[in-house]
Amino acid sequence: MQVIENLKVKEKAYIEKLKNGLTIIIVPKAGIRKKYVIFGTHYGSNDSKFIVPGENEVTEVPKGVAHFLEHKMFEQENGRNSLDVLSSLGVNANAYTTNTHTAFLYECTDNFYEALDEFMDYVQHPYFTDENVEKEKGIIGQEIMMYDDYPEWKVYLNALEAMYHNNPVKLDITGTIETISHIDKEILYKCYNTFYNPSNMCLVVCGDFVPEEILKEIEKRLINKNSSGEIKRIYEEEDESIVKPNIEVKMDVSIPLFTMGIKCKPANQTQKVKKDIAISILLNMIIGESSTLYQDLYKSGILLNSPSYEFDFTNEYAHILISGSSRNPQEFYNKLNEEIKNLKTNGLDKENFERIKKKLYGEYIKEYNDVSDIARMFLNDFMNGINSFEYLEEITSIDINYLEQVLKNDFDTEKMVFSVIKNS
Amino acid sequence: MNQGIKIHLINTNKFKTNLIAIFLSTPLERENVTKNAVLSAVLRRGCEEFKDQEEISKELEEIYGADFDCGLDKIGKNHVFKFYIESINDEYLPKKNENLLQKSIDMLAEIVFDPFIQEEKFCKDYVNQEKENIKQIIEGKKDNKSSYSLFRCMEEMYKNEPEGLYKYGYVEDLEKIDEKNLYEYYKKLINECKIDIFVSGKIENADVKRILEENKNIKKLDSRDPIYNKKEFKKKKQLEKENIVNENQEVTQGKLVIGYDVINSENDEFDKNLKYIGMMYNAILGGTANSKLFQNVREKASLAYTANSRYYYNYGNILVMAGIEISNYEKALKIIKEQVEAMEKSDFSDEDISNAKKIIISNIESISDEQDSEIIYFFGQELSEDNISIEQYVEFIKKVNREEIVEFAKKIKINTIYFLK
Repeated sequence: MQVIENLKVKEKAYIEKLKNGLTIIIVPKAGIRKKYVIFGTHYGSNDSKFIVPGENEVTEVPKGVAHFLEHKMFEQENGRNSLDVLSSLGVNANAYTTNTHTAFLYECTDNFYEALDEFMDYVQHPYFTDENVEKEKGIIGQEIMMYDDYPEWKVYLNALEAMYHNNPVKLDITGTIETISHIDKEILYKCYNTFYNPSNMCLVVCGDFVPEEILKEIEKRLINKNSSGEIKRIYEEEDESIVKPNIEVKMDVSIPLFTMGIKCKPANQTQKVKKDIAISILLNMIIGESSTLYQDLYKSGILLNSPSYEFDFTNEYAHILISGSSRNPQEFYNKLNEEIKNLKTNGLDKENFERIKKKLYGEYIKEYNDVSDIARMFLNDFMNGINSFEYLEEITSIDINYLEQVLKNDFDTEKMVFSVIKNS
Repeated sequence: MNQGIKIHLINTNKFKTNLIAIFLSTPLERENVTKNAVLSAVLRRGCEEFKDQEEISKELEEIYGADFDCGLDKIGKNHVFKFYIESINDEYLPKKNENLLQKSIDMLAEIVFDPFIQEEKFCKDYVNQEKENIKQIIEGKKDNKSSYSLFRCMEEMYKNEPEGLYKYGYVEDLEKIDEKNLYEYYKKLINECKIDIFVSGKIENADVKRILEENKNIKKLDSRDPIYNKKEFKKKKQLEKENIVNENQEVTQGKLVIGYDVINSENDEFDKNLKYIGMMYNAILGGTANSKLFQNVREKASLAYTANSRYYYNYGNILVMAGIEISNYEKALKIIKEQVEAMEKSDFSDEDISNAKKIIISNIESISDEQDSEIIYFFGQELSEDNISIEQYVEFIKKVNREEIVEFAKKIKINTIYFLK
């Protein structure tokens, strides 16, 4: 096992890549009762066009299969539902799907190994029938309708729609009622067999474990499966330009909602973490709680609370999002643009930069408070080819010149979109 | 410490952070809810040392991104102001001797007990602006359909009673509030409320005690016989006729909420076990993925994505909620009622009981793995004066049996059926 250690946060991670290609990451936390396991496949809503290893033809499946599979994995041949079985052991089990990966997880205090039996069994044994696939369409249909009533979700998706011509990140993870109507058990099996191969998966555990012991316990529960080789994923060519700068729709909201997006170029692997940190610092300096811009907008009543901001990136796409609510979204957007221009011309304040660096350092340390946050972070970063400790290393060495370079290159006014939802 | 002000120290080495909390408890009353909401927002705008939010934010960032948070909660018949600050334990800082614990405690006490005052008044701009913001929050309660439906059902069940009040108050009460009367109110509140101060983390008790005792803002607090609502036994009778409330909004999905009362007879004494039995009942009915509601409304009938129940033991209520297609109202209502009846008929397995126990116990055992949960747990014990340890809590759950759950089930009666469509 490879051991990596971070002396700042005083934690270690043990990493093992098995012969069948599965990566196992163990983060021991002595003295904590809660244990957390997460098993992820590098397969998300974006992967609907691909070449199955060993085939020549391109396979294209309806949008929403990854999420549909996530729901259906719990069904077992013996008629039981694994979610119920896990629940009956007193563990909290769940699953989720993102644009890039699907994850199954549970957390517990007791019955850990009984739960591990069931958990690893169901993720490795799909059971789909015509009947159980049809039934799920009703439940997912209600889930889709529930999201339809979330303006926060809509304003976010609209921003992506304004940004991307072809990249599937702009589509709803669940698919639509129309696309899921075409899903059948053959499609589910095909996608399962392609993407739920150990070489495309990663398992992270966090809790009070002896690494060698828990590794053995996991290996014992793995079925025999060989590494399948590379899955060729096909994403349509995406132009660097945006689709349209503005998008506005009407919905029942008490105050207008906005998401401002900036389309960026995906960073190469070695720059990912550094760029992520640089953009976090920049966003804090531009619109964070201590920024002049935010203070002015708050005092003038344009903003009621600080907007949330994030930098979302994979190998295929990268974008910055700033979301919130405002009495006057257009005014917010104008002022934000002015501030970005101003910082580009006049440079960044050294004192602000040093202070925000301290803030981020603290935030990264806090990520290690909870076993579930730790495990999810390691999985998520793994899917992006990153080891989570890198953030604590990079933050201390990042300099202001690099930030100014990122500000010039990535905060490009030509690549900005603004999505608004207003009351009808 | 002076009477009415209580210090709680929690020694734990599970976290990278120290968490400090100050809670102010005061009776929940229509007359004061809106004031409390504005006050809580005004306090975070500035204090004597850090006059505005920019100064506060900068200081928080300077101490390695300490998180400050404040909020209001309804706990039983009390309105509780909650102020938190979370900062990194010095052990994980790149530099030594930063003494973040002291800085954090001092800062939090400053914000709560030494607000920014001009001529015996709060800052006028702060008050006016926060009134506007609270107005927005009140009007925005409709935006989240799930929480809105739950609140509306509760409101219908407790018309003109404190339990039904909205924690951020009412738009029509805002205009009476100004910088002068709000400051008067603040002074009265600080002198009368129950004050609880929590410090959790890898701490030396003696150090923390010294920091608290030497803190000028805590030192100046007077002794008080705190005014707040202690736990009481609420008598509830079955309604002759249940309330039916329909509300129309532009929604794709309907939200059905059924509010149940846990009724009791005139002669019932307050039973301490009721809480634990109720938790067990709720877990079996709709608290888990194994529950009757999840299985029958979602998995079997495929009617909903969310179908669950919550037990509000402080109020003696169970609320069942399902997000359904509007045309499926009758169908869903029927299935939900069948599940509630099944509970009464003891129609659940021994496995259901043991599963519910496992889930609840696992949740209880995780309390001390989450710093804020642990504080909230001990605060709950303090308010209810139960003083049950986490170990005892587990024992009480273990003891609950089928007969008790069925007995409890017989007391569950519909009060209100609310439908947002």
